[in-house]
Amino acid sequence: MIAGAMFYVFALVLIASAVAVVSVRQPVNAVLFLILCFFNAAGLFLLLGAEFLAFILLIVYVGAVAVLFLFVVMMLDVQGDAPRPPLKRFLPMSLGVGAVLLVQVVVMAVFWPQAQAVISVATDIENTKALGRVLYTDFIYPFQVSGLVLLTAMIGAIALTQRGSRGTKRQNVQAQLDRRAEDVVSLHHVESGKGIL
Amino acid sequence: MADSFLVDYAPIAVFMTIATFVALAAVALSFLLAKHRPDKQKNAPYECGFPPFGDARAKFDVRFYLIAILFIIFDLEIAFLFPWAIVLGDIGWLGFGSMMVFLGVLTVGFIYEWKKGALEWD
Repeated sequence: MIAGAMFYVFALVLIASAVAVVSVRQPVNAVLFLILCFFNAAGLFLLLGAEFLAFILLIVYVGAVAVLFLFVVMMLDVQGDAPRPPLKRFLPMSLGVGAVLLVQVVVMAVFWPQAQAVISVATDIENTKALGRVLYTDFIYPFQVSGLVLLTAMIGAIALTQRGSRGTKRQNVQAQLDRRAEDVVSLHHVESGKGIL
Repeated sequence: MADSFLVDYAPIAVFMTIATFVALAAVALSFLLAKHRPDKQKNAPYECGFPPFGDARAKFDVRFYLIAILFIIFDLEIAFLFPWAIVLGDIGWLGFGSMMVFLGVLTVGFIYEWKKGALEWD
C-alpha cells in the first residue's frame, strides 16, 4: 500500500523533472533537475527490490556523473539567455527517437510475462550477494573487459586534456645534478669593438 | 513481499525527515530571529574588494573535468568492490584472482596518470 503510493510519488517526480531537464533555459538548472531524476529513479529501483542498483545509481550517477555534467556545462560557458533554436529543426529527430523508445516499451510490456518466467528472481538472498556470486566467476570475461574499458577511459581522458607541464617550473633534482659547467658555460675572448655573434 | 524489506528503510526515512526539518529550521530561525537592516552599502565592495555579486557561471578550467573523469573511474572501481567483499567467502580463488587482475589493470592506469602528472594541479 505504502509502496504503491511511493511508486506514484517517485514516478511522477521523475517524469516531471525529466520534462524540466529538457525544457528549462539554464543548462545548470537542467543538470540539477537531472540529479532529481536520478534520485527518483533510485527510489523506483529500491521499490523493485534492486537495492544494489539503487545505491550504485546514487553513488555513481549522482555522486560522479552529475558532477561531471556540471563541469562540462561550466566549461562550455553556455548561457541560458541565448535565443531558443526553432522547434521545427529538432522535431523530426526527437519524434523519431521518441517513437523508437515507445515501441520498445510497448514490446517489453507485451512480452513481460514471458520474460519474467525466464528471469527467475531469487527472493531468498540479497541481490548484492546474488550479483557478487556470478559477476566475478561466471561473468569473468565481461568483468575483465570492463576493467580494460575503464583503463581506456582513464588514458583517453588524460591524453585528451593533459597538455604537458603547461610551462610550470618544477624542481628536477636529477637534471640539476647532471648539469655540468662545461656544457652550459663558455668563455669568450671578445676583442674590443667587435662583440660576439 | 515487496513491502517487507522496505521496513528496513524506515530509519533512513526518519533520518531524512529530521535532516529536512533541521535544515529548514536553521534557515527559518535565522530569518525570523535575526535583525534585518538592509543597506546598499552592505552589498557594495569593501575597499579594494571585487564586486560581491556577479554571474555564477564563470568558465571552468578543463582540468576540473579531468579530475572528475578520474574520480568516476575510481568510483566505479569501488562499486565493483562492494559485492565482491560481501561474497568473497563463496566465490573462492577464482573470484579473488579475477578481482586482483581487475585491480591490477586499473593500477596500471593509476601509475600512468601519476607519472603523467595528471594528479598535479600546477
